[in-house]
Amino acid sequence: MMFYARVLEITLLYTIFVIWIYPLTGLTGLFSLGQGAFIVLGAYTAAISYLKFGFNPVIAIIFAVLLGIAVGALIGLPTLRLRKDYFLLITFGFSEMMRGLLLWTAQLTGGAMGIAGIPKYVRLPTISISVLVILLFMSNLKKTRFGKNCIAIKDDELAASAIGINVFSHKMKVFMLSAAVSAYAGALYAFNIMFIEPNLFNWIESAKLIIIVFVGGLNSLTGAFLTSVIYYTFGEVFRFANVWRDVILGFIVILVILFREKGLFGNWEFSITKIFRFLIHRLPTSKEGK
Amino acid sequence: MEVLKVDSISKNFGGVQAVKDYSMIQNDNIITGIIGPNGAGKTTIFNLISGVQQLSSGKVFFNGNNITKNSSFERTRMGISRTFQNIRLFNNLNVIDNLKVAYGFKTEYNFWQQMINSGKVRRVEKEVHEFAMSYLTDFGLEKYKNYKPDSLAYGLRRRLEFARALIVNPKLVLLDEPAAGLNPQEIHDLIDLISRIQEEQKLSIILVEHHMELVMKICTRIHVLDFGQKIAEGKPEEIRKNEKVLQAYLGDEV
Repeated sequence: MMFYARVLEITLLYTIFVIWIYPLTGLTGLFSLGQGAFIVLGAYTAAISYLKFGFNPVIAIIFAVLLGIAVGALIGLPTLRLRKDYFLLITFGFSEMMRGLLLWTAQLTGGAMGIAGIPKYVRLPTISISVLVILLFMSNLKKTRFGKNCIAIKDDELAASAIGINVFSHKMKVFMLSAAVSAYAGALYAFNIMFIEPNLFNWIESAKLIIIVFVGGLNSLTGAFLTSVIYYTFGEVFRFANVWRDVILGFIVILVILFREKGLFGNWEFSITKIFRFLIHRLPTSKEGK
Repeated sequence: MEVLKVDSISKNFGGVQAVKDYSMIQNDNIITGIIGPNGAGKTTIFNLISGVQQLSSGKVFFNGNNITKNSSFERTRMGISRTFQNIRLFNNLNVIDNLKVAYGFKTEYNFWQQMINSGKVRRVEKEVHEFAMSYLTDFGLEKYKNYKPDSLAYGLRRRLEFARALIVNPKLVLLDEPAAGLNPQEIHDLIDLISRIQEEQKLSIILVEHHMELVMKICTRIHVLDFGQKIAEGKPEEIRKNEKVLQAYLGDEV
């Protein structure tokens, strides 16, 4: 039982990461290899402000989020006006820079040794509520004008600005929010796993998050969420399969990209109202049946 | 009343002078046509007026305000709408959402209200939906509201892009080759549509077009470009007889 609770915790933590890659890559079409760096930034900020400066864990997490937003703005301002491929390269550079910085400021960060002995403050309930709230916010943003504007930007930036969408401001908002949530999730991670080190989330991990969004379907938040849950649960439960685990997963990814271009879930979106409508539609017939 | 004033604008691409010292004054409630051989700089002029490209020199005024430094989306918000030569619709959004995103900047709720999907957002969105539906009906596209634009026939896509440019109630509309790729019947319908909407909304329209019948029929004034320069300007019947124009189109030995 403990094992499954543990798997669920880790799965949900990673799912928070994926949910906020979704608006960036799925909606706006920006590829960032730096999301891992924001996660590490959040984890380290929270851990250091708790252990070295003795702040309350809640305040430590708030610090992490604020720093995430600030660094997100710093990286976004000069780079989001560039073409998308340059943006990708710069976020990659940022990710490597963050790793280097953590290794070189060993007095504060413990360098390659990482930081151990962080107390476990965050457990399953906190993580589950966070996932629910973040998922709700994200699905609202996707449903309303903001999300549609982002999709318009992904499809055609020039046409988007020609119909009056402020492309830069949208990209900035998405990037900063995603930095904030990544840092938040990183802070939760630190208080849950209790040990952090600089190589926790390198750019390969960031790329993995993007791949999950692609396999789930760029147009489907439900897809991103479910694929991430399945992927990380699968990863933990099938740990015994060793190297073969990655081979199987890689094979599945290739199959999906080849045969379902739009991802596993395509444009499909889970919706409570749709289910209600479906039930109400069915209701009269079932009553007549009695 | 003067809507748009373009004051000797130029545009260089490296060594190539795409547009040279072009000036025009556009009043409200008229249709102006810009014609000229391929590569004469017609689309570049549209890009400069709508702010898609930055001009090398000159000034652009809209309703008396200098908008030379304003970016594309700001000019659209002021009331300059445009369509594109190669249709640019959002293929991941369905037909009605294509109109709704265009109307978006006129709605009055902020980012955080959208995040919690507040009552105001839902109320406004419902109004926007109905408004967009009435537009689709007006353009004969209501059947296709849930289609993706790339599954529509070419003529319908042109019409949708036109609807998208008009839904924000602009003062000036730039149409870049609205008849390109349409069959004779569709061109006929398009002429009716443009004239009807222009009359209804008292729009000011500038259009670039190769289809002479359309230009001669609906334009009140015509500008002729060649190698980035204006070589003639006047009423359709004047342009038809202008020697310089005939030379540019047919060569010297006429």
